Amino acid sequence: MPAAGGQKRERWRPPRGRHRLPPEVIARSQRERLLEAAIRVVAAKGYAATTVADLTREAGISRTTFYAMFDDKEGCFLAAYDGIVDALVRRVATAYEGEDEWPQRARAGLAALLEALTEEPEVARLALVDVGSAGPAAQRRFRAAMQRLTPFFDEGRDFAPGGRNLPANTSRMAIGAVTGLIADELTEERAEDLPRLLSDVLFATLVPYIGPEAAAREVGEKER
Amino acid sequence: MMKVLQSFQATWDGLMASESRRDLILAAMIRVVGREGYKETSVADVIEEAGVSRTTFYKHFEDKHECFLAAYEVLVEQVFAEVITNCNGSQSWLQRMEKGLETIVKLFALDPELARTAVVEVAAAGADARQMHWDAVARFTEYLEDGRELSDGRELPENISLMSAGAVSGLIFDELLAGRAAQLPAMLPDLLFAMLVPYIGPSAAAEEMRRVAAAA
Repeated sequence: MPAAGGQKRERWRPPRGRHRLPPEVIARSQRERLLEAAIRVVAAKGYAATTVADLTREAGISRTTFYAMFDDKEGCFLAAYDGIVDALVRRVATAYEGEDEWPQRARAGLAALLEALTEEPEVARLALVDVGSAGPAAQRRFRAAMQRLTPFFDEGRDFAPGGRNLPANTSRMAIGAVTGLIADELTEERAEDLPRLLSDVLFATLVPYIGPEAAAREVGEKER
Repeated sequence: MMKVLQSFQATWDGLMASESRRDLILAAMIRVVGREGYKETSVADVIEEAGVSRTTFYKHFEDKHECFLAAYEVLVEQVFAEVITNCNGSQSWLQRMEKGLETIVKLFALDPELARTAVVEVAAAGADARQMHWDAVARFTEYLEDGRELSDGRELPENISLMSAGAVSGLIFDELLAGRAAQLPAMLPDLLFAMLVPYIGPSAAAEEMRRVAAAA
């Protein structure tokens, strides 16, 4: 368990004695360490078993510092969760915006998402599968996070012939299909297989807008 | 005197069939969790709702978690039984899917506590509960498999039923999480579109959507 053992405690501490770091810089770095620690500990122990003491020990900060920043474990976890989501969305957005036509944009964005999730399977599981164990507030964050991907999907409306007439919920459907596929893979402990899911998640993204035939064509394009 | 009381208790226990009290506890668990949330629910809440003693509870279950898993299993079977009652072999795949979906959303709208336990709170009840939820979704997904026949020989991805199920359950999850179980029947056209679109494409799925909306 990464939270246990004394050596983590020594990993980082501000320089001793008088130093010139302004207090807000120290506070920001303490906050960052705490949020990273929260992800590691919750991923390893599960949300329910994690205590504030685990978090302060892993981050090497005092209880007082913790409670100056957050009311409780939940507040800290939610902030950490938002951090994961921000990083993921930024990464997807960068890849997406690097391409021109919508199907290629979608492919690049989804590939970046799968790549990011594969690099850190524990974080991926936490972000998509175990988040529910932290209760409805965390689940709402999860859904809100997914909704941030909506604009990427909704560009399909402009791309697809007749796309304007699709149901208003079309992007939510596509997002549900994509997260369902990824969560299934993560639940089955097959995080290392995630990159192979690209053709399926791409098909699921394109199909409500352009139909199965055109979606299959787009999926096949770069694969062969 | 004690002996008299004990024998009275034994007779009473025999009269009040043990199985039915177990069922009372399971039903209470589903209601309380749907109302209060899994984490907030205690054994005390459940026995109060069920009107049974603590001793009775622990005669049947080790703890809250074991009781929840048993309750969830019953819940899933109930939902399946409802769906199967409304679908039959003489219907086309499309009709069966529509009826099945309609049954689920109506059931959820009528019983928001059951719905919230089934879809939202189950995630808070640990990895084994999430697995049960996942298995239930997979069971519904099997019914979708026959939709391949509508694809006119086009090759569809192996995971297509999972996409369909993911799209539908994502929409339902959002509504329940927002406390809008009552809205679900009104969403039936959209849900049907979500379910059909990977198989038959947007224009045919939109046609089905409009037909269902007009019939409502």
